[in-house]
Amino acid sequence: MRRTIPLVLTFVVGMYPVFAFFVPHNVISNMNQRLDTYLVIVAAFALPLGVVNLVGMNLSKIKQKKSGWPYSIVLLAGLAVMAYFGVVGVITGQYTGFHPTFEDLFEHMVSPLQATMFSLLAFYVASAAYRAFRARNVEATILLIAAIVVMLGRIPFGDMLTGGNMTPLSEWLMDKPNAAAQRGIIIGAALGAASMSIRVILGIETTYLGKGE
Amino acid sequence: MEATGVSIWVWVNAFLTLCILSFLYKDNPFFRFAESLFAGMSLGYYIGIVTVQTLQPNLIAPLKQSFTANYNFLLLIPMALGIMLYFRYIARVAWVARIALAVYIGYYVGVLMMQKIHGQVIPQTRDTIMPITTGGIDALWNILVIVGVFSVLIYFYFSIEHKGIVGKLSRVGIWFLMISFGASFGYTIMARISLLMGRFSFLVNNWIRPLISG
Amino acid sequence: MDIDKLLYIDRRIIYLLVAIGALIPIIKPIGLPVVPTDPVQGLFDKVESLGPEDAVVISYDYGPSSEPELNPMSEAILRHCFTRRIRVMIMAIFPLGGVNMAIRQVEKIEAEFPGLVYGDDYVNLGYKDGGQAPMKAMAVSIEEVFPTDVEGTSTDGMPIVEEIRNYDDVALVISLATGIIGEWWADLVNAQFDVPVAVGCTAVSAPKYYAFFRSQQMIAVLGGLRGAAEYEELVKRKYPKIAATYEKPEQKVISATTGMDVQSIIHVIIIAFIVFGNIMFFASKKKGRG
Repeated sequence: MRRTIPLVLTFVVGMYPVFAFFVPHNVISNMNQRLDTYLVIVAAFALPLGVVNLVGMNLSKIKQKKSGWPYSIVLLAGLAVMAYFGVVGVITGQYTGFHPTFEDLFEHMVSPLQATMFSLLAFYVASAAYRAFRARNVEATILLIAAIVVMLGRIPFGDMLTGGNMTPLSEWLMDKPNAAAQRGIIIGAALGAASMSIRVILGIETTYLGKGE
Repeated sequence: MEATGVSIWVWVNAFLTLCILSFLYKDNPFFRFAESLFAGMSLGYYIGIVTVQTLQPNLIAPLKQSFTANYNFLLLIPMALGIMLYFRYIARVAWVARIALAVYIGYYVGVLMMQKIHGQVIPQTRDTIMPITTGGIDALWNILVIVGVFSVLIYFYFSIEHKGIVGKLSRVGIWFLMISFGASFGYTIMARISLLMGRFSFLVNNWIRPLISG
Repeated sequence: MDIDKLLYIDRRIIYLLVAIGALIPIIKPIGLPVVPTDPVQGLFDKVESLGPEDAVVISYDYGPSSEPELNPMSEAILRHCFTRRIRVMIMAIFPLGGVNMAIRQVEKIEAEFPGLVYGDDYVNLGYKDGGQAPMKAMAVSIEEVFPTDVEGTSTDGMPIVEEIRNYDDVALVISLATGIIGEWWADLVNAQFDVPVAVGCTAVSAPKYYAFFRSQQMIAVLGGLRGAAEYEELVKRKYPKIAATYEKPEQKVISATTGMDVQSIIHVIIIAFIVFGNIMFFASKKKGRG
């Protein structure tokens, strides 16, 4: 029962958007609309699911004084401060939008932290380009040439060096051979995803339910 | 509190930026501090936006305004489902979370199935059916694209051995894929450089220049 | 010359060269010209065909990690739409920062257009969870998905929300996206509800989106900083007032066109690394065979 009911629910709820797509009757569409708006709320509850897990893991790390435990304190402090300013306005009724401190913390702390974390990749990609990008065989050479054509085509220098021909060449490469390959990947991946969806809806794929009865 | 025309927030911003950049030299406590802070604050941010932007206007406010108007009491269903998701952390009633998960996963796989077939497979296949006998350079490029799409699809078909004609077509598919991956690499470099430029632009224009000019 | 040493230069030397390459044009901009391409022209032409009776939805589906690429796009597009007095509905689907990107961008650009009325000419609807769920629900009622705007003010009674009820009243959706969300607007909203979709994306996603552009599921693709620079160029050519805005020093330093200077230098450095690395590779192979 503990697995059967969820499987039946998955089938019913999963088939409904498919059914509604083909049957544009008012009653069906209204129910579909309701389902869409309800899932917005369920998704809102789902987004912070990882918080419980992470808090538990870090509290345990602090308790057992495992390696790196002071950083767990930093993590939990950051979470607590941000979450406090995120919900205090709504709870006290003082703000209907974001608390000003919440916005400041995002703008001056979360935003630069995320942006800088990702900007490290620029250095890694440059290092990787030098160390690993070798024309070892035909395929690697094709990849190398395509990368250089695109890199030159995306910068004004490319046109300056080639009398304005680099941008059109790069655009042709993107629009023809690249688009063809990407199309093949999109079709293949989409068919794979669709077949996985059918497997989940029909109850063949049940890993999302976890183990046990 | 300002120091030489630079606000305290700019100092905080610059300090955190340099903490992360210090990883380029080697792993160090400043980087790990900044990394942990980012992880915690990001999760706290999720709690904030979910509460203010979705739960408050779409759930709490309608229920507070009127329980019965517009069938608002039905909002208790998604609320219950959402809360049930958290039952997975209580061992004795963890199975209850499966019901919420079934609805959540069921909905999204149903939507995804239509999205993939109707939104990707059909339009992409339709656009691959192009004229090849009209003459001129366009017909040649159309043939190139058709050959590209088919050879890539053949490469990804692993149910038959890639030898003979299938092997040759599969090889052509690999060449198209290499062109695409090379293009992706070029674009990826562009993306990463933009991120770096953003950070350096902040450090130079928002922190160092105002500091120097006072 | 020790070829083996040159094959594996300390990565920190490479990092240093990249850092210097990035800093020089930031300190001293060069101002290299950018040529617009068809995928970007498509969006410009579409917006040019719209006017005060039309509505555009702009979805901020990116966070701080994509800010340098997508903020310049957003600014150019908002300036273009506001100049043409097209009604704009702003929203966000990306959870980590989309709504804050939208807030900052709107605050910045609305100050340049004091004649526009919030709630009538434009509105910031804020963020909504669920990805495809709100996107689908907007086909029936935008107000039901967004009962309040980003500040918590009720959208009931706002002229723009009263008149733009669902996708039937929307002329164009522009998604400024990192990751997969741009694709969702094309394969869900465009495919199922026939709304024209244009996507401004990070350069990482752009190669894939060319396939959607070819099949006309996207009417335009603005790929990365280059896409932003091209769009800036198009609006500057058409609207002298916008061009004057971009000449102001505080705007110039953050514009995409200036960013292309950094791109140009670092691309050349990386191409040089690749060529040099391959020369050393073949030299070392030859040395090995000898």
